[in-house]
Amino acid sequence: MTKPLFRGLLIAAFFALVAAVLIPVYVPRPAFIPGFAPPPDMWPRLVALIGTALGLLAIIQAFLGRGVPDESPIKTDGAALATMVLRALGAAAAFAGFVLAVPLAGFPIAAMALTGLCILLTGERGHVLWALAISILGPLLLLAFFQQALGTQFPKGLLTTAIGI
Amino acid sequence: MMNDILIALQAVATLENLLIMVAGIWGGVIIGAIPGMTGTMAVTLALPFTFYMAPVPSILLLVALYKGSTYGGSVSAILIKTPGTASAACTALDGYPLAQQGKAGKALNMALYSSVTGDFISNLSLIFLAAPLAMLALHVGPPEYFMLMLFALTTVAGVSGNSLLLGLVSAAMGLLLATAGEDMYGSFRFAFTDDMQAGLSVAPVLIGLFALPELIKMIVMRAAPDKETAKLGDQKVSRAEFLSSLKSILRGSSIGVIMGAIPGIGPSAAAFFSYGEAQRSSKNGKNFGKGELEGIAASESANNGACGATMIPLLALGVPGDVITGVMLGAFMIQGLTPGPLLFQTNMHEIYMLFIGMLFSSVLLFGAGKLTMRMFSYVAHIPQTLLTPTVLLLCLFGIYSISSSMFDVTVLLVMGCVGFAMFLLNIPAAPFLIAFILGPMIEENLRRAMALSRGEPGILLSSPITWVFAALIVFVVALTVRREIQKSKDRKALIS
Repeated sequence: MTKPLFRGLLIAAFFALVAAVLIPVYVPRPAFIPGFAPPPDMWPRLVALIGTALGLLAIIQAFLGRGVPDESPIKTDGAALATMVLRALGAAAAFAGFVLAVPLAGFPIAAMALTGLCILLTGERGHVLWALAISILGPLLLLAFFQQALGTQFPKGLLTTAIGI
Repeated sequence: MMNDILIALQAVATLENLLIMVAGIWGGVIIGAIPGMTGTMAVTLALPFTFYMAPVPSILLLVALYKGSTYGGSVSAILIKTPGTASAACTALDGYPLAQQGKAGKALNMALYSSVTGDFISNLSLIFLAAPLAMLALHVGPPEYFMLMLFALTTVAGVSGNSLLLGLVSAAMGLLLATAGEDMYGSFRFAFTDDMQAGLSVAPVLIGLFALPELIKMIVMRAAPDKETAKLGDQKVSRAEFLSSLKSILRGSSIGVIMGAIPGIGPSAAAFFSYGEAQRSSKNGKNFGKGELEGIAASESANNGACGATMIPLLALGVPGDVITGVMLGAFMIQGLTPGPLLFQTNMHEIYMLFIGMLFSSVLLFGAGKLTMRMFSYVAHIPQTLLTPTVLLLCLFGIYSISSSMFDVTVLLVMGCVGFAMFLLNIPAAPFLIAFILGPMIEENLRRAMALSRGEPGILLSSPITWVFAALIVFVVALTVRREIQKSKDRKALIS
């Protein structure tokens, strides 16, 4: 399957899903609507239908090979596709891990871990001291700034509170 | 009026405001000079900090960052042939050859002089054009506003990326996301969780969409950075050199003002147009691309000339012309100010303060550019592998601090992944953002218009103003389709 065809299918499927499944379930219509005012589902439904039509148009364009935008190659380090997929999954897992870690380890420690992990994931191995400084001192400095200057209270973790941090 | 201006001048000319503008300009120049960091990023990263500031200083900070980053983009374009911002792409064409000839200092100086001149002219145009346009806008109703916003959205969709179709898809996604939350009758739409009943905030969506994909790209693609470098040198621009480029500077500034004032066009297109026009009309046209100072002057005066002018539709009509003014619209709203014609009636003091602050920022841009020129060659070489995770860190703390909400932080991270997926699929992000910001206003005006006409859609084409906007929409679509067909033909000819 070519990229333009895949893209068209994805766009059409997404908007069709919204129009056919999500709007009927997640956009309730109130019993009484004043005057001739359009109901709450009118606008999202209209946008979703237009989106579906655009997706179908993209599919037709892909089949005909007309009007398809220039797909310039993306610059990479030459790694295999499977490796890049693994890296993308690693980044998504790091983000999900951060959200899950905040209630346990607290915001600053989870932020330290996420920053350090992201630096490692970018392939950075040459500036170890800078990487450590950004990962550890960065969150501490930002914590101090936001707490002292702006009065923001960041979430504390169950585990860190238990051990008295 | 004179009394109002003097009061506003007194209010702006405080040490605090000046320091905020200096920080904004300086920060913008540095961020713009770093390849991969854009003015949009600079403005979006500063957005959380503006929550704790008074309305006018917060907007001045964002404007200063915008101007600074637009000029800063030329620095890495000249020194390492990597435009810090898209609008500096033309500057690299002549700037880098000059740097290779050991005249980087001369090129940077010319970029600074042209930028400051363009910026000053742009500010004057804002001051003289915004108010009359706002007064005119007071006479338009919901159908006209709906058509105007539709026009702005179509233009942004047309000029972003390389496909009108994908631009419109992006806009449709933004419009759909904007419907999440409570509507005008109290219905909760797409409220998958309790947090979503209030809808999605602008800041996490915007920062996630524009700042985080750069980090994910760095993790997944690991594209090698450009290692080329050039020394700064210390050559000054002579009076004769400046005067010989003055015509191009003035013409570039005018092009920047006109193209900046049209929603959706912005600094990049203005710079390309001005460069092409200068090359066509200059007696040194054949030297363009080989290290011609006039080329830098044309490009830089136009991109900075567009900066102030993009504020004209924002302030007068409440319509952002590009992503950065879209962020500023968000900042205005966060501060309780709604850009549009009524702003000129209810908040004239703030408007005068903003105008005066913008004029100040032109002077500050000159000072910041001069003072920081030497350190640029170091700044432009910070490894991206350290820089992008630092940006993530700033985003996490900044977004959480806005409303102490982990939901917002989750939205930030999810939008980062969405932005990366859009990058992979070649779907431009700018129409998404503009649609997300304008979405509630577009829907409200459509529903008000339909209610006024008792459900008759013909009201959307009921007045001369709506006809004009409808014609402009058709014109923009036709022009974009024609351009795409031409590009497709050229590509096929090249392949065959």
